[in-house]
Amino acid sequence: MGHTATAQAGSGGLTATEHRLANGLRVVLSEDHLTPVAAVCLWYDVGSRHEVKGRTGLAHLFEHLMFQGSKQVQGNGHFELVQGAGGSLNGTTSFERTNYFETMPAHQLELALWLEADRMGSLLAALDEESMENQRDVVKNERRQRYDNVPYGTAFEKLTALSYPEGHPYHHTPIGSMADLDAATLEDARTFFRTYYAPNNAVLSVVGDIDPEQTLAWIEKYFGSIPQHDGKQPPRDGTLPDVHGAEHREVVEEEVPARALMAAYRLPADGTRACDAADLALTVLGGGESSRLYNRLVRRDRTAVAAGFGLLRLAGAPSLGWLDVKTSGDVEVPVIEAAVDEELARFAEEGPTDEEMERAQAQLEREWLDRLGTVAGRADELCRYAVLFGDPQLALTAVGRVLEVTADEVREIAAARLRPDNRAVLVYEPVAADDTGDEAADAAEGDAQEDEAGK
Amino acid sequence: MTDTGIDVTMDFHPQPRAGTAKPWAFPAPERTTLDNGLTVLRCDRPGQQVVAVEINLEAPLEAEPQAIEGVATIMARAFSEGTDKHSAEEFAAELERCGATFDANAGHPGVRLSLEVPVSRLAKALGLVADALRAPAFADSEVKRLVRNRLDEIPHELANPARRAAVQLFKELFPADSRMSRPRQGSEESVERIDAAAVRAFYDAHVRPVATTAVVVGDLSGTDLDAILADTLGRWTGSGAESRPVPPVSADDTGRVVIVDRPGAVQTQLLIGRVGPDRHDRVWPAQVLGSYCLGGTLTSRLDRVLREEKGYTYGVRSSAQVLRSAPDGTGVSLIAIQGSVDTESTGPALEDLWTVLRTLSAEGLTDAERDVAVQNLVGVAPLRYETAAAVADTLADQVEQHLPDDFQAQLYRRLAETGTVEATAAAVSAYPVDRLVTVLVGDAAQIAEPVKALGIGEVSVVTG
Repeated sequence: MGHTATAQAGSGGLTATEHRLANGLRVVLSEDHLTPVAAVCLWYDVGSRHEVKGRTGLAHLFEHLMFQGSKQVQGNGHFELVQGAGGSLNGTTSFERTNYFETMPAHQLELALWLEADRMGSLLAALDEESMENQRDVVKNERRQRYDNVPYGTAFEKLTALSYPEGHPYHHTPIGSMADLDAATLEDARTFFRTYYAPNNAVLSVVGDIDPEQTLAWIEKYFGSIPQHDGKQPPRDGTLPDVHGAEHREVVEEEVPARALMAAYRLPADGTRACDAADLALTVLGGGESSRLYNRLVRRDRTAVAAGFGLLRLAGAPSLGWLDVKTSGDVEVPVIEAAVDEELARFAEEGPTDEEMERAQAQLEREWLDRLGTVAGRADELCRYAVLFGDPQLALTAVGRVLEVTADEVREIAAARLRPDNRAVLVYEPVAADDTGDEAADAAEGDAQEDEAGK
Repeated sequence: MTDTGIDVTMDFHPQPRAGTAKPWAFPAPERTTLDNGLTVLRCDRPGQQVVAVEINLEAPLEAEPQAIEGVATIMARAFSEGTDKHSAEEFAAELERCGATFDANAGHPGVRLSLEVPVSRLAKALGLVADALRAPAFADSEVKRLVRNRLDEIPHELANPARRAAVQLFKELFPADSRMSRPRQGSEESVERIDAAAVRAFYDAHVRPVATTAVVVGDLSGTDLDAILADTLGRWTGSGAESRPVPPVSADDTGRVVIVDRPGAVQTQLLIGRVGPDRHDRVWPAQVLGSYCLGGTLTSRLDRVLREEKGYTYGVRSSAQVLRSAPDGTGVSLIAIQGSVDTESTGPALEDLWTVLRTLSAEGLTDAERDVAVQNLVGVAPLRYETAAAVADTLADQVEQHLPDDFQAQLYRRLAETGTVEATAAAVSAYPVDRLVTVLVGDAAQIAEPVKALGIGEVSVVTG
């Protein structure tokens, strides 16, 4: 069992209270007076998994439209007012949810609440063809910039499509296809809003230097009269068998700088102890520069320039264990693949050493401390656990659950899931320059705007 | 604004007014010197359980022998590849066992080491980092691997349009004999020549406690930092050091366009730049304001047109990044506008961009724009500096740039005092329309002609 960095790791002293307005809006508040800032986070329980055939990318395009004004907010007023108040803001869309967030100087909290309420209740008063056409172009350029114009940029999309079968709600990624982005209409956007943007389909969290009583009164004042509605259908079922049963493989011949082996292993859904065990297994095998794959491929065999595992946690479908290896020099992919398979098989047999468990738990613990160390991070995690698992308090105890997992559980999950017949594989073979596109990684979300340039 | 409110049934309230602002100030660090001459800046940030340590080594890139450029980068990386106590694998494992992250990078002013670790394990992690500085192994085999690894990375960087654009801009702006004209982490030819002896020689010549500053930020209330420092960085010994003079920097910002050809590219990467003053210059706060108004965010002038009106881009930003500062104020920053636009909009986007710059020059900024910029830049400070890492990074930048420890704290006061006229003047002089070097990474066959037609400078095309 790993030791902990703080007396109550991660949750140390943090508390949250829960409330529900008459219209169904769930509210989570958490006080922290160390810095005069307050984070507002609003999760709508809608993501790309709710999209229908022919309209991929609509949830994310819609997220952009949420910044184009509402009844009392002109044009880009949402950005202008928050930034003019010394705040920062953005929105992102993933498979399972759409979130909007503002971090404000504490004395400007009420403004952020007013703004979120205005667009939750009255977006359609301002939504028009002009914004729709403009943001369609912006999102298409976002797709080009983040996926189509960078080496390996469409790998995430390709592996996702291999991992979830045709017709599965997670078969396509939130950015959507160019054709579907072109096909979306203003009426689609209106229907989307009427279906999913309701107080009873959202969780609002406010974290930081706040007066909870006053904050709740403001929330009641601004959000309380927004009518609930019940047009939402549950997303299509994302349940799949625990394992693929056979490998899925695609070879991509593109103008990329080096050969690459990428794979996605099917893993337990988020919110389970088995998912935490898988997280630890992936950390031991491919997290950081003391992991088994890094030591084997980069340090000893010297066949790879980079090698690692990541975990994409998903609650409504199997999670994905994400392998990414870029080869060194002229090394061929089968050499890498044989070494990876050997390491995974050995790990499934032996399990982690005590020291490996300690390292992996220390790494995951620090990641949690980082996430809960800012008011914005804490607000987002409270929403996440409220929306996906029905209980925001689970955010404050998550790190404790990771530290309880045993080495046996880690070995068991690796043996059951980290197998060649339980993965989708993408192999990149470089070709000379012609008319192919290029690209990068980290692609599970789209944002409303790029990070502001620092000064 | 056409819909008649059919969907709107809520109660509306007027926009609320702000409450009373609570005081906040950029933290003032305490500065001390260890017995070995190493400078320490410390800053207690209650509640920040993850401590950030930034270590500056005064080992600038221009100290690299030209034949083996990249040696500072390889040295920086080799700090995590073993010491007199641990092998490379053990060193990485011990650090990760602390729950730490550790990075090291070489930049123009020097080498920067960044450690983040839960405060309860600070002593152990800082001990490992101190070992790396005091007694790095620099084993032949590990250096060989790092060199190979670096060579493998170069094609990945050049394939990335934003990175490729930056390489080209530096080559264009600076004379061939300037270190700044060449890649920060070395070229294929120079990296290939680096070996363990070269790394050791660079270390021996430039790395020593008296030329080192450590910045420690976090919740230090239950920690005897002096004892930890004495037991870690304090054990490192080394000779005295003479300060290296900072060489003057010149740049050719004659207005011109260089296209790096990428046949078939669906977007064009834009990087438009020149050199400008650094933070020592009195104009800095005005330039920060002017740059924010021009391209700091989605509602700044550039994105207002290029993104929110025309949809040519996901976002275009303007910024100033300090490259090298000198105590006498002769340093420079890179002033740049960057972003990407779809291939067919390249000509129209650049035309609009130049129109924005000309309009700025002709009509200036408005008071409202200036006010919003000040409110944002000053107002976001408490949230920008919520984490220990953000505070440590800025303090270390100040050290690296020979600025006083209260520079950032004073900057907020100076921003608030800067008027619209000064901000306009600074923005106009930062972005003169005829003194900008434009690098475009994109499909030359499609974009060269429309760009030539704009008359923003001679257009040349390079490959690779």
